[in-house]
Amino acid sequence: MELAITGLGIVSPIAIGGAAHRVALDDPRAAALRAFSGAVTVLPAAELPEARVAEVRGFDAAQYLGEKGLRNFDRLTKFMIVAAKQALEDAGLKKGGQWIARRPEEVGIISATAYGSLDAITELNLVAEREDPRYINPARFPNTVINAAAGYVSIWEDLRAPNVTIVDGNCGALDAVLTAETHLDHERADVFLVGGGEVVSEPLYRALRKLGIVAEGDAAWSPGESNANGMRLGEGASYVVVERPAEALARGATIRGLLVGYGTAFSAPESEALIVHPSVDGVARALRAAVSDAGIRPEDVDAVVCASSGLERIDAAELVGVARALHPDVLCAAPKSYYGETFGAAGAFGLASALAWLDGAPIAPVLCGTQRERLEHIVVTTVGFYGNVSAVVLKRAKTPGAASS
Amino acid sequence: MTQGVALRASARAEYNAPQFMSRRVFVTGLGAVSSIGFGRQAFWESLAAGKSGAAPVEGFETGAIGRSIACEVKGFRARDWMTAAEARRMGRCSQFAVAAARMAVEDARIAPALLATERTAVVIGTTMGEADVISELESAWIHRGEEAVKSRTLNRYGTTLLPIHVARAFGARGMTQTLPAACAAGNYAIGFAADQIRAGRADIAITGASEIIEKLQFAGFARLGAIAPERCQPFDLNRKGLLVGEGAGMMVIESEEHARSRGARILAEIGGYGLACDAHHITRPHPEGEGSVQAMRRAISSSGLEPSDVDFVNAHGTGTDANDKVEALVMHKVFGERAKDVPISSLKSMIGHCMGAASALEAVSCVETIVSGLYPPTIGYETPDPDCVLGLVTATRKGKADVVLNNALAFGGYDAVLLLAREGVLPDTVGRR
Repeated sequence: MELAITGLGIVSPIAIGGAAHRVALDDPRAAALRAFSGAVTVLPAAELPEARVAEVRGFDAAQYLGEKGLRNFDRLTKFMIVAAKQALEDAGLKKGGQWIARRPEEVGIISATAYGSLDAITELNLVAEREDPRYINPARFPNTVINAAAGYVSIWEDLRAPNVTIVDGNCGALDAVLTAETHLDHERADVFLVGGGEVVSEPLYRALRKLGIVAEGDAAWSPGESNANGMRLGEGASYVVVERPAEALARGATIRGLLVGYGTAFSAPESEALIVHPSVDGVARALRAAVSDAGIRPEDVDAVVCASSGLERIDAAELVGVARALHPDVLCAAPKSYYGETFGAAGAFGLASALAWLDGAPIAPVLCGTQRERLEHIVVTTVGFYGNVSAVVLKRAKTPGAASS
Repeated sequence: MTQGVALRASARAEYNAPQFMSRRVFVTGLGAVSSIGFGRQAFWESLAAGKSGAAPVEGFETGAIGRSIACEVKGFRARDWMTAAEARRMGRCSQFAVAAARMAVEDARIAPALLATERTAVVIGTTMGEADVISELESAWIHRGEEAVKSRTLNRYGTTLLPIHVARAFGARGMTQTLPAACAAGNYAIGFAADQIRAGRADIAITGASEIIEKLQFAGFARLGAIAPERCQPFDLNRKGLLVGEGAGMMVIESEEHARSRGARILAEIGGYGLACDAHHITRPHPEGEGSVQAMRRAISSSGLEPSDVDFVNAHGTGTDANDKVEALVMHKVFGERAKDVPISSLKSMIGHCMGAASALEAVSCVETIVSGLYPPTIGYETPDPDCVLGLVTATRKGKADVVLNNALAFGGYDAVLLLAREGVLPDTVGRR
């Protein structure tokens, strides 16, 4: 695998836009404080006063997309379109909404979400259950279909190459990397937006709260540490633009990093009664596969973007799996401390942090390991709740704007 | 020459990009859960007999919706196909998927040990996934509050669980992936699984799609005015819309090496597939069928074939005015003068529109067409539509079936077309660019 990353678009709790996101990560601690401070507006705060979520505060899609055509878009769709638009412009493919490189038939999107349509389903279920199914708004009905949000991105940005939505729990955005590579290999497209989006919604929050896995209140919260006591939800959307390195160079694009390896694994629990379970074996196998795919040695990995979200057993299994597959002293950090848990989009946010680290942003919060003087290879992991794990290897481009080969 | 081709040509001269492996991929087992039968044989016999699965909905009250006919799967007993523990931890959509997968694995006559490896992938498509689970949860929450929501039910929710449950059923330890691509999801899944085998990332895959009928989805399609009052009549002048259906279609697909090494019976070969996006409207097809034309042409060309090589087309054929008209136009653009003679049929006249599972069940049927040389009928066709002049098969008949196209032209402009062929027909370049 070798895919050049040439653009980033991001709508996140810590910043909107690639440049603002990079600046925010100069001080990850302040970013984390900002992400989880302020009033919660996406949940009924009066009913859930202990809820602490990283929402994209003050987000106004019209500021980025104009007023027209937004009426029937849900929050997820708006996040995704704004992030996609930014990524295409950042990559130099579009300017002022017009294509300046490539054609619509050559550009596609691979987008992940886990619970993206839940908000829309709830909106219509409330009408159907409280009033009458005849009163549901047909213009909002398409939003209940999981892939509708990515469909709207294609329509808005005129992307006519393949449009793929992936739902792989927490692993979707990294699985999107493999999907992009597959379709690029077969020349079904020349450029892909790769990433995903997720929103904080009341039904999702209440469901996870019911399962006892959200951290509430103002107690110290550090994913990956033993005091995390559950996850805090986050939201947003993030896409990178990926293309074949030589073609990116040929069109004069800036290469921010190279995706050079992918691995995935599934391990079922031993108990018939369990569904959710930690999997050291799954983590280790996915990481080994990613490193092997990248053609590097385990000891070549300089840092790991961990999936640690505050679920103690799953976080602990991840760190054991990382040490088993790579090396005991590898630097591990937990960006969900400032993004929150974004499920299907988590890999995309992890990738955004990894790009910032390659660009000199401080790596924090560190869970374990030793910082090396220079970063060459960063592994991004995503760990599902069901024993599914995916990982990618991000490599520094040799010189600014250059591919490695 | 497109900008992309030009860039690639110049880039390759100075950059030795790795080439992906190309391996043949064979279908060796089929499974189906449908409104007209369970299992490969029952499903195909019903299709060949022109049996309709349409009947009054029994799963929920339809009185307030204004439409009451659908192609529901009736008499499905999960415990016929799985343990009590498995049935308990799954919603109906996953149960369909696991049942159909078990049928396909049994049909493939494969030793369990060959599936319980890291080289087995599970790729499954759907539109709404475990929609009944979310409906049950939300109904409890809306009417009786959070306390009424059961944790056990919460654990059954999640579209990503479909391949997880299937992988677990067979001890598979490789890729697990869910591809929700609306009504094209089955072709998306089968095509992508075949890609992974060709690329050497897996040796064998269990792939297909699963879907259930759920009240909100049924009401939504009714509110869009898409549901016919009684029957689905694809390409008929007086067609009145689709009937919602449900079920699961699954396949076991293998690399040639894997299939040969275990002496597998080969049912068909998977050719190329074409993907495109209309980027036009979230519910209406592009009026000129631009994405659909691209997808069909790519499916054919990436199989190393020409349109003249295609013997039969399984139509998307929903029975809606817009879809059928555009699909007929697309057929004429792809096949030219020959369009009115290419045998084409729509299973949706019999099993309804099974949404994400539609193209998977139809792919199962396409393989049966290749095996048997029989074209299944489009039932209910009475009055020709001058906008849909096609070689519609209205009664089961024999015909050449070496190369079959499976169209899926979905909601949101998601176009996916899969080519299936008789073993030995496709050139060595199959699956290449």
